[in-house]
This record gives sequence, structure tokens and C-alpha cells, in this order.
Amino acid sequence: MHFSEDDLRAALKRKDPGEGFTQRVMARVEQAKAEGKIKPVNGKANRSLFAWWKLRPAWTFAVVALLLLGFAWGGYQYSEYRHQQIAKRERQQLEELKKQQEEAERARDQAILALQIARSKLNHVLEQAQMPADLDKIIRRQRL
Amino acid sequence: MEQEVGRDVKHEGDRLEAALSRSAQGDSTAFAELVREHQGMVFSIAYHYLQDRSLAEDLAQEVFLELYQSLGRIQSAAHLTYWLRRVTANRCIDQGRKKLRRREQALEEAPEPAASDPPADPLLLERLQQSLAVLPERQRMVVILRFQEGLGPAEIAEALDMPVNTVKSTLHRSLEELRRGLTRKLREVRYAFF
Repeated sequence: MHFSEDDLRAALKRKDPGEGFTQRVMARVEQAKAEGKIKPVNGKANRSLFAWWKLRPAWTFAVVALLLLGFAWGGYQYSEYRHQQIAKRERQQLEELKKQQEEAERARDQAILALQIARSKLNHVLEQAQMPADLDKIIRRQRL
Repeated sequence: MEQEVGRDVKHEGDRLEAALSRSAQGDSTAFAELVREHQGMVFSIAYHYLQDRSLAEDLAQEVFLELYQSLGRIQSAAHLTYWLRRVTANRCIDQGRKKLRRREQALEEAPEPAASDPPADPLLLERLQQSLAVLPERQRMVVILRFQEGLGPAEIAEALDMPVNTVKSTLHRSLEELRRGLTRKLREVRYAFF
């Protein structure tokens, strides 16, 4: 037995649920409402509940933008912190160098002073050492 | 003439949009109008799938009950039709899985709903319905959506969450199985007579 698509369409033709179907549905809705199984329709509430889903691309964009801003701000803060750390370390090194330089200058001054004292002492000794020779010359001249 | 038809369709669309909008604001009369408008489609999908009038009516009522709770999510009249088809199809498949039914018995028990035109070959149509009843769940629903609702493969794919190519191959396979089933039934009838 063969059949055409039209036969199939005829076999699957829409049927009428019969008299009173709408009333039965409405009665069931009212019953469910009375029993508290379903909430009365509130379009605005339902819409606001699912509104976020309709705005999904906008939300995604907003979240991504916020994340990017957060990362950028975090990165800026971190680089600032790093710069401050480096500047602080450089300042400390500079202070240490200055201190060492001052100590070195002080040591040099002390060394120069010590050398000057030593020279004056030596000069004095030398003068003392040269004095008898001159006296001999004077004595020898007097004898002649 | 065409302009008049176009105007009627537009008027119908506007009427449904208005009913939908009023229903979403809690107007029961408008919701009843929506039920009246779509009850044939919802009930027929369920009836052709389940082959049981009382089960089909129960399922159709549940679908409309679910619609009542989801009115806020329905955006347009076209969306409403799509939503109803999708929910009915999924509920039918779930129902079919849950309950093991005696399809042929139910068919005989059920009084045939009043149809506007007498069928060309009542025997052929009855055999077709019986063969359809033994098809696997998805195949049965694909055939119903294709030949009752006149949906294309893409629309069926969207309603049943299936790839379009799967819908096409399912449809082809289903028609083959219907043909085989019908031949088998014819042979059984011959044996019964001779």
C-alpha cells in the first residue's frame, strides 16, 4: 500500500480538542492560582526577572570592560609601587655613598694633619742635629 | 483579493499581539483568547503523538498552564507559536518516555474527534496513524511537525534541538519505516481475510 505526502497530511490534520477545552484550561488556571501552585501573571515582574538575559551581550561587555579597567588600574598601581621601591633603594645607596665619601675625606684630612705634624717634628730634629756643626766652625774660627 | 488576505493576516497578527500584551498584564479573557487560538495546534500535536485523547487533553492543558506562568517571557505572537510547539513537543517526548502505553488499544477506545472534511481513504489514514504510533519518539515528532504543522527542517531542528541534517535524515528514515509498516499491516489484513 502506497501513500503520498498528502495522505500523511490528511492523517495528521489538526484535530479540535472539543467543546469546553478553553473553559477547562481556564478553570485549571484558576484552581492552580487558588492553590498557590502558580503565581498570578505579572508581566513587568517577569520581564525584569529575565531582562538580564536579554541584555546578556551588554552585561558581558560591561563585565569585560570592568575587568580590563581593573587590570589596567592594578597594573598602574603596581608599576608605581615598583618605581617608588627603586627610587627608595637608589636614595639609600646615594646616602651610603655620601657617608662613605665624608668618612674618606675626614680620614684624608687626619692623614694630612698627621703628616704635617711629622714634618714639623722632623724639621726640628734636623735643626737640632745641624746646630753642633755650626758651633765647631765658630770655635775653629775663634782659635785661628 | 490578495490584499484583502494580507490585511486579514495583519489584523489577525495585531489581534494576537494585543491579546498577548493584555494576557501578560493579567487579563484572563485575553489569555482565554490565546488558548482558543492555539488549542487546535497544541492538542493535535499531543494527540497525534500520544494517540490517546484524554492524555493529549491533559498534556495540552498543562502546556497552557505553563504558558500562563511564562507569559512575561513571550515577546510576540510568532514567538508564542514557536514556544507552544517546542514545549508541546518536549512534553510529548517526556510523556512517551514515562508511560508505556497500549497505543493500538487507545486508538480504538478514543472516539475520533470531529473533522471538517471526510477523509479520502479512512482505512489508509487509520493505518498511517497506527504506523506512526510505533515510530520511535523523535522520528514520530519530526513527522508530526513536518506534516501536521508544515514546518521546514530548519524549524523542526530549532524546535527539537537537533541538527538540520539529522532532521532531514530522520524524516527520510521515518517515511521509509511508515511505508514498510503500512505494507506489513496490509499483509496482516490479507492473512486475516484469507
